[in-house]
Amino acid sequence: MSFDWSAVIAAFPQLLQGAELTVFIAGIGLIAGISVGVLLGMVRAFGPAPVNAAALVYVAFIRGTPLIVQIMFIYFALPILMHIRIQAVPAGIIAIAVNSSAYVAEIVRGSLLSISKGLTEAGLAMGLPFWKVLVFITGPLAFRRLIPPLGNQCITSLKDTSLLLVIGVSELTFTGQEIIADNFRAVEIWSAVAVIYFVMLSAVGLFWQYVERRMPIL
Amino acid sequence: MSIVKFSNVEKSFGPHKIFNGINLEIMPREVVVVIGPSGSGKSTLLRCINALESIEGGDIRVDGFSVKGGRNDIRNIRLEAGMVFQQFNLFPQMTALENVMFGPMRVRKATRREARELALALLEKVGLSERANHYPAELSGGQQQRVAIARALAIRPKLMLFDEPTSALDPELRQEVLKVMQTLAEEGMTMVIVTHEIEFARKAGTRLLFMEGGKIVHDGKPNELLLSPPSERLRDFLQHVV
Ligand SMILES: Nc1ncnc2c1ncn2[C@@H]1O[C@H](COP(=O)(O)OP(=O)(O)OP(=O)(O)O)[C@@H](O)[C@H]1O
Ligand SMILES: [Mg+2]
Repeated sequence: MSFDWSAVIAAFPQLLQGAELTVFIAGIGLIAGISVGVLLGMVRAFGPAPVNAAALVYVAFIRGTPLIVQIMFIYFALPILMHIRIQAVPAGIIAIAVNSSAYVAEIVRGSLLSISKGLTEAGLAMGLPFWKVLVFITGPLAFRRLIPPLGNQCITSLKDTSLLLVIGVSELTFTGQEIIADNFRAVEIWSAVAVIYFVMLSAVGLFWQYVERRMPIL
Repeated sequence: MSIVKFSNVEKSFGPHKIFNGINLEIMPREVVVVIGPSGSGKSTLLRCINALESIEGGDIRVDGFSVKGGRNDIRNIRLEAGMVFQQFNLFPQMTALENVMFGPMRVRKATRREARELALALLEKVGLSERANHYPAELSGGQQQRVAIARALAIRPKLMLFDEPTSALDPELRQEVLKVMQTLAEEGMTMVIVTHEIEFARKAGTRLLFMEGGKIVHDGKPNELLLSPPSERLRDFLQHVV
């Protein structure tokens, strides 16, 4: 069989639209997920016992269930439980945010705890309150250690958006599937979809590599 | 009027009682050297002074502020007591100069310019003007420790606490740090120094404490205690250190 370039060219605008939605969902989802994850991670590292335990349960629960089940739950079960209506795209964003927040929380906790206690003591001994030591000394150091695993999480979450096809979000994978249902060009379209993911993920990887070079681990 | 006063201090780590009623008064301009075997409570004694360790019983007052007096008192104590650690603990993301400027800017509310001037003067004092723009990782241990001393001095303390400041250093780097400390002592800085440097205790100390098992066993003039140890324990200890 021959590779039909015209099928790819014809599908390209639509695939790009799917890719755009993929980036949008991953972007918003990750911004929210990282924000929540950083807070949870700080609670896990330094929080008082009851809050710490609550955060632990949240993290354990999210990490202990498949993302696809979380997506289904948020889109199909949550509306029934809470008597609300939720669109597929916001549901997808929430799923990515919730899921990544748990992993980010563990990453943040680990890097905060890996900073030598002596540095915290040096800051405290100067008369700084703990939160200022965190903001000016240990936080920035922990951030540097956060960069490689955080980059990794961004790559994972961007790929995870493909699972949103199960609730009909027209991201890149869903779009590819829809096109193939019309034109039956599986080889061409899946190849194109793979290449588009690869380009997006490489860009994300290069971005984080750049950040890492600018802020090396100390 | 004492600058540090321990009254019946009790301190435990979990079920282990470390101090059972410590009393100690330190006067301004005293250079108190603390010696004693490992685990005798030297570091703990020092860390209780600036409230890095909390105490359960009794009280410690530093220039009138109490370690049990809440956030404001503790902040004031820490502003008056500079601390130098065995492991230097310089902030690795900052140059030597930035390390020294940090305290004045963040806790003393100095302007960048004031902080810079002060920091440069202090680095000069510890003999590191040329290294001002180097990062800690680019400095030798002795240089790092001298920066750490400058950093502690930059918050303008009335009292300096040293916890084994030369123990992490190669022998040939110790003298440069001890020299800076000796100069400070001669300038009249009040100092509490945990160390194994007996020679330094004799030269720079005005007072020597020998601790064992969480108690201050001897408290006297360095020369007297070192030349004629009043107990078998101290004699033994001195033989092992020297
Ligand atoms: N954070 C801690 N948790 C539990 N026990 C501790 C802690 N810090 C110190 N201790 C115990 O308290 C006692 C006194 O310790 P401290 O560190 O003050 O001794 P030290 O005289 O400084 O010893 P070294 O010469 O080895 O530094 C020791 O028995 C030690 O095991
Ligand atoms: Mg010690």
